[in-house]
Amino acid sequence: MHNVPSLSEITMTAIRPGFGFLLLFLFTGSLLAQTKMDPSKAKALEAKVKELAITTETITSDFIQYKHLDFLSNDIKSTGKLSYKSPNLVKWEYRTPFEYALIFKDETLYINNEGKKSNMDLGSNKLFEQLNKLITNSIKGDMFNTEEFNISYYENGVESEVHFAPKEQAFSDFIKVFHLIFNEKGEVTTVKMVEPSDDYTQIIFSNRIVNIPLPDAVFTH
Amino acid sequence: MRYLLISLSVFILSCSSYPKRQQFEQTEITKSSHINPYFSDPAEDYVYKADIGVFKKNFSGILIVKKLGQNKHRVVFTTEMGNTIFDFLFLTDDFNVNYIVPDMDKKILIRILEKDFKTLITENPFLKNSFKKNQETISECLLHNSKHYYYSEEQRLYKIIRTANGKEKVAFLFSGIDRKKATNIKISHKKLDLNILLKAI
Repeated sequence: MHNVPSLSEITMTAIRPGFGFLLLFLFTGSLLAQTKMDPSKAKALEAKVKELAITTETITSDFIQYKHLDFLSNDIKSTGKLSYKSPNLVKWEYRTPFEYALIFKDETLYINNEGKKSNMDLGSNKLFEQLNKLITNSIKGDMFNTEEFNISYYENGVESEVHFAPKEQAFSDFIKVFHLIFNEKGEVTTVKMVEPSDDYTQIIFSNRIVNIPLPDAVFTH
Repeated sequence: MRYLLISLSVFILSCSSYPKRQQFEQTEITKSSHINPYFSDPAEDYVYKADIGVFKKNFSGILIVKKLGQNKHRVVFTTEMGNTIFDFLFLTDDFNVNYIVPDMDKKILIRILEKDFKTLITENPFLKNSFKKNQETISECLLHNSKHYYYSEEQRLYKIIRTANGKEKVAFLFSGIDRKKATNIKISHKKLDLNILLKAI
């Protein structure tokens, strides 16, 4: 159990800067309740996530997305449904407050914007191609590629949080770092994309169902 | 001689002001508290689903406008997934591009967007003349050196027309008006292939 320092104790520590700093550091650490993961645990997590990704044929999940911009009074909330079929079929479907669906299939991004359909050749747009790869990999959690990312591992109770900072300049100008939160089973529960401005998009998954048969029609434009 | 008369009358007609050609009568200048009230509430997060058609290309996203102080607005456009496409800061006589994706980082495009959004967010442009026809009023204003005509009916702003040489250049249409907020906004350029549709979410 933590002893909460009294005001006089805090005043005392303020006079002794070295100790005060240490106390502040410890206190902040416990507030965030997140600690660096030791390398052996990190390796075990990576193995668990990769193992799970191999055995995952399909995923369906609801999601809530929060767009956080520092200057707004409230985050912008949208909700929808995600469908994934191995190896690389992905559908993001926003249902509220607007209807908008993205289907990543082969080298093409298909868009259904409130009934208006269009598509984009991903080969011609490197950024979207990378985004597609990341979305697919982040759903599975399998982003452990040290050539592309500087990776750091944290733990928070039974949850693990891994930060992936893109190494390539063109990409890091767009997204500074991805935060993926994994539950005990190694499933991704939250994806956070942090922009260079520190504004971010947070996507929280719920009602995750794996390996139920998903007909290809789900991914038809 | 007849041709001279015709061309003279055409000349005179084209010289008459834009509202007068639509049978509006000039009145005394009447100042309302806000000529354009639609982005004037600092407590409000203005969030719109946006569809932009430009040079035969269509893209969509979320447009966010926030008043941050007297004559200070942030205008941010993101994809539906939240990735920022552009982030502009408007001050009284200043404009900053905080961020824009490299694909859109073109001076001409930024200039057009700056002018259009400046028109959208400016509450009280410099008022030059007022006109009236039945229940309708037109306020002739000067904004970034262009004449803008603000059309209101029963004190509800429903249209802004930007003109150049007496001709309509850009139209801003507001509908689904609820007090100080417009649910639907349409910006259409007459001489450019550029249309912006906004729907409040």
